[in-house]
Amino acid sequence: MAGRTLEAGLQLLDRQLVDKEGRLAGKVDDLELTFPDGGGPPLVTAILAGPGALSRRVGGRFGGWLEAVANRLREGDQRRPARVPFAVVKEIGSAIALNVAKEELETYRLESWTREHVIGRLPGAGDAPE
Amino acid sequence: MRLSELLGAEVVDQAGRSAGRVHDVRLVQDGPLVGGFGASLRVAGLIVGRRAVGARLGYERRDMRGPLLVKLLVGWLFHDGRYVAWDRIRSIKPDRIMISGSVADLPEPGPSQ
Repeated sequence: MAGRTLEAGLQLLDRQLVDKEGRLAGKVDDLELTFPDGGGPPLVTAILAGPGALSRRVGGRFGGWLEAVANRLREGDQRRPARVPFAVVKEIGSAIALNVAKEELETYRLESWTREHVIGRLPGAGDAPE
Repeated sequence: MRLSELLGAEVVDQAGRSAGRVHDVRLVQDGPLVGGFGASLRVAGLIVGRRAVGARLGYERRDMRGPLLVKLLVGWLFHDGRYVAWDRIRSIKPDRIMISGSVADLPEPGPSQ
């Protein structure tokens, strides 16, 4: 069976994730590739999003700092970026459409932490519309 | 493994000759079914070349449409672009991917889709 082909760097990396209600839900920073148990070429099993994934691509001291900050923002102590399993992807186009709400994604934790601890403390933040 | 571990890695044959670095990774949607997406994406091969500028714009592909001058210029810049099917990969080490056969046998990257 010949499926459609696409180029990962060109057609997936840096694309915007859009949740089932059309809201922005992060950006594709890297892909998780998994070797199947029975052997053969790796499969794309998840989209990695957020500064934890980006830091690997940035590299160097700045990349290390970015990863450290991202890890502090995450619950638990796992050194990994927010993972969006490919099972929730609906369609790949100019953006990546998901079939879940963004609140169900790991990427949302970073967003809600930033809103509560950084944005919420700025003077006048209480007057800002949602 | 992550996609970023493949991108930018140098591709060499068993005689130590380099085909350049990985510019992109070609995926084909014919893997096992996954959620609402249908067939999952499988890694089909690597798009490799010696020159880096412009690869991310997609001009390496022969089917790319664009202004003639840009196409000619990029065609000249990317005449060394090559495609490595996954079954030719023998080992993946950090920043170095070893392939079977010779880099001279690698075909040009054909059109995607």
